[in-house]
Amino acid sequence: MNRRMKLMVAALLGVVLVAGGTAYAHAMQDAAAQLRASGVVGEQADGYMGLVGSAAADVRAQVDSVNIQRRARYTELASQRGATIEEVAAATACQIFASRVGPGQYYRLPDGVWRRRNGSEPVPRPSHCG
Amino acid sequence: MMLPNLTKEGRDASRKRMGRIGKGLVAAAALPGLGGCVEVTAPERPIEINLNINIRQEVVVRLQEDVRELIQQNPGVF
Repeated sequence: MNRRMKLMVAALLGVVLVAGGTAYAHAMQDAAAQLRASGVVGEQADGYMGLVGSAAADVRAQVDSVNIQRRARYTELASQRGATIEEVAAATACQIFASRVGPGQYYRLPDGVWRRRNGSEPVPRPSHCG
Repeated sequence: MMLPNLTKEGRDASRKRMGRIGKGLVAAAALPGLGGCVEVTAPERPIEINLNINIRQEVVVRLQEDVRELIQQNPGVF
């Protein structure tokens, strides 16, 4: 292989890597939104995602992954603000319920029942949100 | 290693000292492997679902701004 070919291969590899990385980052960027749109995952009043019914193993793994990341963020903010992780999580749920649950998507209030947002009707706020 | 031009005794003493420092370094490097090892493993069930939320509204209000930022800065997670 001569020098020019090596350079071309390296350049090609670079392009493939960058494209792949961008696609991956893009997919990760709306992981939570995609899960909500799937219809088998919803938002809970405790600030975490939950499975509405039974779900495939890969969906469960994705939900776990999102929840672990959420917990890490909650923990960080809690220590910065002198609040508990549960308090930060519950406060976040208020915002998620208000702005992230789309029409036809699922949410779960402290009564434990999964409900589906009906059209453009607003999602009821969990009672702790005030 | 270049030793300063000392007497034979001086050279021997610095060699011994270097040896001691070396042993100390080895011991320090080995320490984490012995007692100082803190294992951090993710629990198998990291998130307990407890929907009985016990939180005061004033806390929600106080955290409101921070939480809004948190959501905006982590689009894949929220």
